[in-house]
Amino acid sequence: MEDLKKLIDEAKKDFDSCESLTELDNSKSKYIGKTGPLTEAMKGLSSLSKEEKPKAGAFINEIKKSIELLLVARKETIQNNELSKQLNDESIDVTLPGIRRNQGSLHPITLTMNRIESFFHSIGFTMTDGPEIEDDYHNFTALNIPEYHPARAMHDTFYIDDEHVLRTHTSPVQVRYMKNNKPPLKIISPGRVYRVDSDATHSPMFHQVEGLWIDEKVSFANLKGVVQDFLQQFFEDNTLSIRFRPSFFPFTEPSAEIDMSWNGGWLEIGGCGMVHPEVLKHVGIDINEYQGFAFGLGVERLAMLKFELNDLRPFFTHDLRFLQQFKA
Amino acid sequence: MQFSKLWLQEFFDSSLDDIDLAQTLTIAGIEVEEIQDLSGLSDQIVVGEIVSMEKHPDADRLNVCQVDVGSKELLQIVCGAPNARQGIKIPCAKVGAQLPGFDIKKAKLRGVESFGMLCSAKELGLSQESDGLYELKSDLMLGQPVVDALALNDSIYHLSITPNRADCLSMKGIAREVEALSDLTLKKFTSEYNQIPSSNTQEIIVEDATLCPRYVGLHIQGVDNKKKLPEFMTHYLERGGISSINPVVDITNYVLLETGQPLHAFDKDKIHGNVSVRKAIKDESLMMINHQEIIFSGEELVIADQSGPLALAGIMGGLLSSSQEGTTNIFLESAYFDPAAISGRARSFSLNTDSSHRFERGVDFGSTLNAAQYAASLIIKYCGGSISASVDITGNLPQRSAISLRTKRVADIMGMEISDTEIKAILAKLQFEFTYEKGIFTVNPPTYRFDMCIEEDLVEEVIRLYGYDNIPALMPSTKALMLPVDSRKKDLKITKDTLVNLGYNEVISYSFIGKVVEEGLHDNKNPIKLKNPIASHLDVMRSRIWGSHIDALVYNLNRSQKNIRIFEVASVYQEREGTYTETKVLSGLVYGDQVPEQWGEKNKEINFFDIKGDIESISSNTLTFNKPKKAIPGAFHPGKVAEIIMNGNHIGWLGQLHPSWQQQYEIPKKTYLFEIDIEKLSQTTHNPYTIPSKFIPIRRDVSLVMNKDVVVGEAIEAVYGMKISNLIEFQPFDIYEGEGVEKDKKSIAFLILIQDTYKTLEDTDIAKVVDQVVAVMEGKYNAKLR
Repeated sequence: MEDLKKLIDEAKKDFDSCESLTELDNSKSKYIGKTGPLTEAMKGLSSLSKEEKPKAGAFINEIKKSIELLLVARKETIQNNELSKQLNDESIDVTLPGIRRNQGSLHPITLTMNRIESFFHSIGFTMTDGPEIEDDYHNFTALNIPEYHPARAMHDTFYIDDEHVLRTHTSPVQVRYMKNNKPPLKIISPGRVYRVDSDATHSPMFHQVEGLWIDEKVSFANLKGVVQDFLQQFFEDNTLSIRFRPSFFPFTEPSAEIDMSWNGGWLEIGGCGMVHPEVLKHVGIDINEYQGFAFGLGVERLAMLKFELNDLRPFFTHDLRFLQQFKA
Repeated sequence: MQFSKLWLQEFFDSSLDDIDLAQTLTIAGIEVEEIQDLSGLSDQIVVGEIVSMEKHPDADRLNVCQVDVGSKELLQIVCGAPNARQGIKIPCAKVGAQLPGFDIKKAKLRGVESFGMLCSAKELGLSQESDGLYELKSDLMLGQPVVDALALNDSIYHLSITPNRADCLSMKGIAREVEALSDLTLKKFTSEYNQIPSSNTQEIIVEDATLCPRYVGLHIQGVDNKKKLPEFMTHYLERGGISSINPVVDITNYVLLETGQPLHAFDKDKIHGNVSVRKAIKDESLMMINHQEIIFSGEELVIADQSGPLALAGIMGGLLSSSQEGTTNIFLESAYFDPAAISGRARSFSLNTDSSHRFERGVDFGSTLNAAQYAASLIIKYCGGSISASVDITGNLPQRSAISLRTKRVADIMGMEISDTEIKAILAKLQFEFTYEKGIFTVNPPTYRFDMCIEEDLVEEVIRLYGYDNIPALMPSTKALMLPVDSRKKDLKITKDTLVNLGYNEVISYSFIGKVVEEGLHDNKNPIKLKNPIASHLDVMRSRIWGSHIDALVYNLNRSQKNIRIFEVASVYQEREGTYTETKVLSGLVYGDQVPEQWGEKNKEINFFDIKGDIESISSNTLTFNKPKKAIPGAFHPGKVAEIIMNGNHIGWLGQLHPSWQQQYEIPKKTYLFEIDIEKLSQTTHNPYTIPSKFIPIRRDVSLVMNKDVVVGEAIEAVYGMKISNLIEFQPFDIYEGEGVEKDKKSIAFLILIQDTYKTLEDTDIAKVVDQVVAVMEGKYNAKLR
């Protein structure tokens, strides 16, 4: 009987050498299977005396329990080993590039116009637009630029026919809007404009944002306030200096060029002024009740400054290597 | 407008250096664009004299000069200037001198040593062009630095004068402006000439007294036009941007620059009979001073004699009657022409003269006579002669009515308080006459201020002198009102963002394109032409964006880009019976593979259905892509193109670029184009929203064999059109052609989703739906269950 005790050590040795559950299953039958030595020993109990039987039976069960525990422990170990092997086998090289879809980009001019729009929208400006093939009346006459006025020569106009031009500025939108809406008016209008001019800083087609605010008491001081606030927000610089320099546009009075301090000098950003009484009269607004300002900003200029570019031609050459840099 | 600072200094006793002249002018609206400092010339450039000259032994065009520069030894200098000759005094740059752009070194020219350089005015930066050595006056001291000898301790101010400020197109005007803007006081202008009695001895007929309200003419006889004017005059002229021609012409230009009054000196002996100021007669012609022949339309104002036009009034004189070196008798004209007589005329002949530039903007009609007398006195002083006759005809001069200016109006526009006293001071500074009563100024602006017509003009002047910088920047106080937002309109920004997420890059291309592309690729036989295009390949307005996008594709392919997805939202233009229409479209081009080349995905060339899927995902509405019923644009492959339909309306096109266009543009792979009316696309209409059924949909698959030419999209529509109850989806999931299917047939596997809102469906209910679907397919499309 005492020999059976050795079985525990043997089983342990045997189980430990098993590397898979199948092997372990085979080894198990050697000890606690139907033909195993413990089963045999149990069968031999019948030859024992009444007093010895329970004692011996308990002894055999004890050994069986021990072997079963060993078996469970080994089984767990094997399962753990197999899992870690599987995990190990399944591991990937996470440094390989991700599966890429194409990611597109918005044009820097759109990004700039969206940015401009968002600032004006936040203080209640409505977006509006107008035609690009514009008639002479809206592009010039209604803006107090009669035929033969020297200011027309300064516009380098593209002509379609005797009465139609490609709009040289976004200002005609003011006229159209004022004719169809009653004050107070508060609009901005971004869009394409055209001038016969082409070099590193001029494009025959470019973008302007027109702004107009007509109300009872909108003043030149307010014009300064709005433009200054906008430029400081746009360039994220609350100390940015803005200078208003007297100028001349037939459709505003007083008129001003907007200069912004840049690299120790001044840089022209756009033009503005108080809407000329003649223009207000053209659209039927009572100048004794309403006054207000208009401004026009060059979008390419703002984009070039914001993105630190010194040439505007890449905006219009469609080079994807350039455009892709503006991915969101 | 440009001027010599030394000249301006002559108008003031105190030094201009006491103020920041450029800043003062610029912030008052007289923009100083550039200051050209002349005093920077090296003092190694000195007055020299060519004492002898020989031909260069080895070069026909070069001369070897011996030059006296006031030192003991003569300098040997090789010179190629055509006017080099013995005895002339010229600027000589000695070895070591620095010229704009280069340094003078000892050199060998074709084997002959040269110790310096003889200079032209251009080389010294004193004029824009020159045709030889700068010949100096003979009384200059040899060896004296040219800076001193030519009074070059000066600078040239280049101004940008806005069209309203014609009064600043003269030295007098600038000086007046400086006085108004600073504490400097103008010297009293003294007339050093005698008043000339207007004896009207010459017969002058002014036929149009509205366009020519004032005409002054003087005869000066016995003039010697070969005299030299004092150097300061020619310096001032040149620094004012006008080259010296002959003394009489120079004096008229000098007076023009000083007073702003254009003058013209005719050679009296070339005038036949009476002079008249009249409208031109159609088809009359005149050879101008610049050798340009003008044929009149009949609208122009001319000065004429018996035999025809002598000058285009206020713009330019004729060649024949102009004052030349040999001219001895002069007819000097000083007139006031109404801007309406001049405006647009000069430009219609591509002319822009100092005279027309001023008359177009307005010349002071108060100084017509003074300027004539001043010029005459200078001519007599420097060229001799005497006034023999004069004429002064005054017609309908412009009337300047008084303008009211309310202090309150100034304050309202400024957006801040301003006192009567401040306004008074400003008006006084501007030399505007005024009276004041109870908050209202009655102002009489001077004759030279053409820009002062209405109250706002005066308001602007007051604010300008008050200083734009002195007005605070204030945000308006205003009612806080919310802006309406249209929920039925999709924001373009969302559409663009979706496209970007699908891999599309936004481009912005010119709205104009070449006529060839417009008539060819864009299939538009009636393009909108530009009268003055910037280039011949950009001469019409585009009716499609595709041509521009193909250019963009080619540009990028040439730069090794492989996958191109671009889009643009812009207007396209069409002419219909004389009216122009603009439609905002979303247009795009797709080329290359579905995904970028990479290790984890196989390359697969993009196809029609990829882009169809993209377009479906930018729309909030159900779009259908139909076999075209409209005429197919010529840019497309006729078998791979769809009309895009929304709510029954055509809203655009999607298709493959026609292979012949692909070949013509030398594009290696298939290219796809689309165009959608963005206004229509952004209108969102929604079916009523519903709560999903709690019953799970049942799926049944059927395989149907049908003729190849069955249009699946139409078949699906037909099935939906039957409104079969409980059918919620009918869609193909596999299409098969080939072995096992007859040659002209295709086999399509459809999934059928069936669901009831209120109950779990029995097998019989399900079978009924499937049967109905199959029946439609069998009945309408002759499809057979496989």
